[in-house]
Amino acid sequence: MTVAPERAAAGRGTTPVPPPAQRLSWRDKLGRLDTRYTPYLIIAPFFVVFGIFGLYPLLFTAWVSLHEWQLIDGDQGFTGLDNYAELLSDKNFWNALGNTVSLFLLSTVPQLFAALGLAALLDRGLRGRAFWRAGVLLPNVISVAAVALVFAQLFGRDFGIVNALLGFVGIDPVDWRAETWASHLAISSMVMWRWTGYNALIYLAAMQSVPRDMYESAMLDGASRWRVFWSITVPSIRPTILFTVIVSTIGGMQLFVEPQLFDPGGTATGTGGDDRQFQTLVMYLYEKGFRLFDAGYSSAIAWVLFLLILVVAVVNFTVARRIASKG
Amino acid sequence: MSRTLVGRTTAITAVAVAATLVAACGGGSDAGDGKVKLSIGVFSDFGYANLIKEYQASHPDIEIEQRTVKMEQHHTQLATQLAGGRGAADIVAIEEGNIAQFRQSKDKFVNLADHGAKDLESQWAAWKWNQGTTDDGDFVLGLGTDMGSLALCYRRDLFEAAGLPADRESVGKLWPTWDDYLAVAETFSQKTPGVKFVDTAQNVYKAILDQTEEGYFAKADDSFIGDKNEKVKQAFTLAATLGERKQTGALAPFSQDWNVALKQASFATTTCPAWALALIKAGAGDEAAGKWDVAAAPGGGGNWGGSFLAVPKQGKHPKEAYELAKWLTAPEQQKRIFKETGNLPSEPAAYKDPEVTATTNEYFNKAPVGQIFGNSAENLKPTYRGTKDSKVTPVFGNALSRVETGKQSTADAFAQALQEARDAVK
Repeated sequence: MTVAPERAAAGRGTTPVPPPAQRLSWRDKLGRLDTRYTPYLIIAPFFVVFGIFGLYPLLFTAWVSLHEWQLIDGDQGFTGLDNYAELLSDKNFWNALGNTVSLFLLSTVPQLFAALGLAALLDRGLRGRAFWRAGVLLPNVISVAAVALVFAQLFGRDFGIVNALLGFVGIDPVDWRAETWASHLAISSMVMWRWTGYNALIYLAAMQSVPRDMYESAMLDGASRWRVFWSITVPSIRPTILFTVIVSTIGGMQLFVEPQLFDPGGTATGTGGDDRQFQTLVMYLYEKGFRLFDAGYSSAIAWVLFLLILVVAVVNFTVARRIASKG
Repeated sequence: MSRTLVGRTTAITAVAVAATLVAACGGGSDAGDGKVKLSIGVFSDFGYANLIKEYQASHPDIEIEQRTVKMEQHHTQLATQLAGGRGAADIVAIEEGNIAQFRQSKDKFVNLADHGAKDLESQWAAWKWNQGTTDDGDFVLGLGTDMGSLALCYRRDLFEAAGLPADRESVGKLWPTWDDYLAVAETFSQKTPGVKFVDTAQNVYKAILDQTEEGYFAKADDSFIGDKNEKVKQAFTLAATLGERKQTGALAPFSQDWNVALKQASFATTTCPAWALALIKAGAGDEAAGKWDVAAAPGGGGNWGGSFLAVPKQGKHPKEAYELAKWLTAPEQQKRIFKETGNLPSEPAAYKDPEVTATTNEYFNKAPVGQIFGNSAENLKPTYRGTKDSKVTPVFGNALSRVETGKQSTADAFAQALQEARDAVK
């Protein structure tokens, strides 16, 4: 590696190459080494941390998933892909997958539309702008446990506010935890409450970089606000929208805390309702691994979940690129 | 780029990398003052705070740290700590419903018999001692702390409104058996249809089942017998009947909704181990003082809950840990804990002590709780808990919940539960 710095510096060619000196002083050499390698050194801690806390567990989980593995006692023998085979014929797994997708759609789609609308409103000249902008982020800052506690009260069956309000318009009380669709709605509302403002702020940041003269010319042409929004604002921030879709998808697939805290049985049962009506994949993973101590099976779920997210992310990415190139 | 900057970035990077490595390998450190540091991991309130201070005062070379987490997290955390080989406290509490699961991993624990625990056997009620041991008593996994015992709590005002007797002796006589209890439920519901008779069928089921000698698993060989044992079906059907008749509040036990329902006085009875008194008091609040009372449970006593202190092998000071556990579970200390927190002693020398039997609970209409719970524990034949008990139990709880909410008939719910239970123990 003794010659590398010289060539690198020359090869980069951003500055004219100085007339070749007879010998570089050690100080210059150090300087060149520094320009070349310091960036790697600076980002190295991330990769070291990722290796220890990300990659190693990932690979170890794969290893565990190929065994019958009891949480406390460890390895009980290599079983190959048995855990995966069992998983594919496990109706609880498919149920959890269905719930996860349903909760994801119910919470993400309305959430992103609401965030878009909210951002558009915030983008206008509002009085006390900073206040409103900070305000929409507030639900995201509050601890999820506190949010879950409040929502559990709101959606209480016997004495909840939501049922009381429904009562005013003549709708019978809903048992929010017992019914599948009702529990999905309640949990989705919790997710929306937490993340709409966050996404709105991301959209807002993107909207502010849309050139104002485009709006002005549209206005001069007599376009309505609605038209301007859909024809100028949304296409201009398309990459940002795709970014939020990808992030929300990954988050949605891993949904755990909100439904878990919504379950009155808590992790003591971990089944997400008395008929698994709102058990997500991660909840099922937790139930298997940490209540039933079946770490091998739990690891298999983790890996299938990982692959699912990978597939969804790749699909997202491909679609995103296609749309972006059209735009 | 100047030299100083080079130096600085390199230094910063080096520090960052070093910090990462330190964080990754970080571990415990022992105090340099030569004291033995012991930690004790418990859930909810074991009433140890004052006792620990006292022990430290009499053992100046020992320093004790108490760690408290919620019960459902406590056992999961303990499992992962045992699996990882580090992080567990020197003494850990294990609840009765979970101890069977840990018995399976007994090689992660110190056999307390090696430290002379067998000499203490006679301190405990025999069944309590047995629950903490395995290998026919050769392996002592845990020393018993409290026990749950079992009574039935009821609202006096609601009983009066339904034309039922309200004093605790007469109420106890209303229901010698669980069938009688169901009959009282019928009377109650006809008179006061707006109030549920009992909070949840799940607890009734657990109480009935825990009064049988065998539940889901055979005492002889730990095999699953839930589908053959008539007692399971009987208990399930009895509890589910309450649910089908809509006489239960269909509440998840001890949940947030359960607390709200307590506050709103929307149910009249609840199964009541000694530790539940504090929960009821907290949930119902001061305005219900004197309205709740404690009567004997149908079916003649029982036990629900209670814990053990065990010593994980990974600890550095098993001898000192054992000594502390032994002291904390001794009758004198159990008596004091009862007076301070209401946790019922599991040792005859403590629960038969006049001080304990004379204890009444102001909030529960001055009920002689020491006597009621002590008696209930005395006639106890504890149910056998299989190693996989905790895998099966929630399945039946869920099934009862489905009956209570009207989603399934008793027969369908039971059939589904059996299927799920068989899958769970496979």
